[in-house]
Amino acid sequence: MPFTAKSGKFNAKINTVEIGTGDKAIKIGGENVLPFYTFDDAIENAPKVGIEITDGGMENEPECIQARYEGCATVVDMAKKAVTFEGVDFLSLRLEGGDPNGKNRSTEELIQLVKDVADAVDVPLVVCGCKNVEKDAELLDKAAAALEGRNAVILAAKEENYKTIGASAGLAYKQIVGAESAVDINLAKQLNVLLTQLGVDGKSIAMNVGTAAAGYGFEYVVSTMDRIKAAALSQNDNTLQMPIITPVASEVWGVKEAVASEADMPEWGCQEARGIDMEIETATAVLASGSNAVILRHPESVKTIKTLITELV
Amino acid sequence: MAKFVTIGERLSTTAPAVNKAFTARDPEPILKRAKQQLDAGAVYLDVNIGPAETDGEDLMKWAVQLLQSEFDNVPLALDTSNKKAIEAGISVYNRSKGKPIVNSADAAGRIEYVDLAAANDAIVIALCNGEGIARDNDERMMYLQTLLERGMEHGMEETDLWFDPLFLVVKGMQDKQMEILEFIKMISDMGLNSTGGLSNNSNGMPKHIRPIMDSALVAMCMMQGLTSAIVNPNDLRLMETIKSCDVFKNNTLYADSYLEI
Repeated sequence: MPFTAKSGKFNAKINTVEIGTGDKAIKIGGENVLPFYTFDDAIENAPKVGIEITDGGMENEPECIQARYEGCATVVDMAKKAVTFEGVDFLSLRLEGGDPNGKNRSTEELIQLVKDVADAVDVPLVVCGCKNVEKDAELLDKAAAALEGRNAVILAAKEENYKTIGASAGLAYKQIVGAESAVDINLAKQLNVLLTQLGVDGKSIAMNVGTAAAGYGFEYVVSTMDRIKAAALSQNDNTLQMPIITPVASEVWGVKEAVASEADMPEWGCQEARGIDMEIETATAVLASGSNAVILRHPESVKTIKTLITELV
Repeated sequence: MAKFVTIGERLSTTAPAVNKAFTARDPEPILKRAKQQLDAGAVYLDVNIGPAETDGEDLMKWAVQLLQSEFDNVPLALDTSNKKAIEAGISVYNRSKGKPIVNSADAAGRIEYVDLAAANDAIVIALCNGEGIARDNDERMMYLQTLLERGMEHGMEETDLWFDPLFLVVKGMQDKQMEILEFIKMISDMGLNSTGGLSNNSNGMPKHIRPIMDSALVAMCMMQGLTSAIVNPNDLRLMETIKSCDVFKNNTLYADSYLEI
């Protein structure tokens, strides 16, 4: 009897979410197969790669990344440069200086920066908060307003502040609402339910289900993503069919493998190579587990991951 | 495992208001009941137009088109003893949300409903009884085999026969209840699907008792592997029980708001 391959495509699919406007707009999601299972069915939209800068500008970057932005004096300069790197689909601006326990920069100051960056580039935008839930409620509400018409991703609404951010980004200013949970599959689902109950269109939500740098409790990240995709596709659970955006950079560039200097750790070799490796390894793993977009920091990682995706899809 | 499939039973000519609306082709009461059931979480809706001997074909077409156009191609179970009416209904049926269900065949006078389902690529509810109710599980299994073979002969997928063990009323047949539950396990062990009019168990009981009995039974049935039931989805206790059992069975992923979705 001849062998007949059975297609593993599902009757359900991940929502397609468009980010940005005009020629540079990108689409994520839309697939009805497991990650990179192109032999089961065509993958409608290849995963996308974003590059991240922060409100801290050059001084916030490790030396090896600073070198790539040589000549940039301001964050806006960096934004303009960032979008020229090979493989960049979108730009992510992380407002980490807003954290009251850190630099505690004012909302006004940061929103002005969001506007300046948005005016300087035409690629799709992601705005990330400072991780303080109260400050983010204020900051991301204002960011959603400032970016009206740009169809940006506001990353992210959490369980503690989803009402403010959901109402602002999702209802008032029609942005894409990022829904963030910390490697907790039940909460990931719950947050999507709460946002849709608030009136946010499920097709305007993208999830950040949490991540870690490879090696740092990473098996939980993988199993969370696996189970989300399984529920979305095999159980046709429409509360989990939102595409996943994973901010890899902010995790990777904080672990010792990426930041320890060569002077401190001579036996580990070149710091830049280690950082890039960590970023590529983590991004590859979350893409293989179902992320529809990754946010990276080193231009070399962006280029490599973009090549990987292009070869596989 | 797939989520438990609820088939809403409230569009039936046994309800005078529905009967009247079908006869008069009055959409309003039909759509209202349909919406109530779908809002409560029904997956399929049963459309029982009774024997409908004179105008069944026209009526079933009207009902299918009315419901599917209003409710995004909601999947339907077509329920009548008029075979031509079922075929007429399928001829205008949109399958994008699920195959039509033919309700129903048995292993005796209604076995040709299996052929009808096979010819139209439909699901069929297959009652495991012949002339009269099966005496025991051996007899039920014999009827199941007859129906299954009939489906296979006509090229059906075996999972498109949804076997109905025939739920029995507790008042009068209390001693048979465990036997039905054991039979559901047998169906499940064979990898087959099952369904049935579960609320029959509580027939004749006081109104406030019925949701309690139905909920207890559905939980026991789901444990045994029942994959679907024809129910009143507006019975909140029953629907909450089904959703909770779906969580325990890992058919749906838990979230704090699971009862609201």
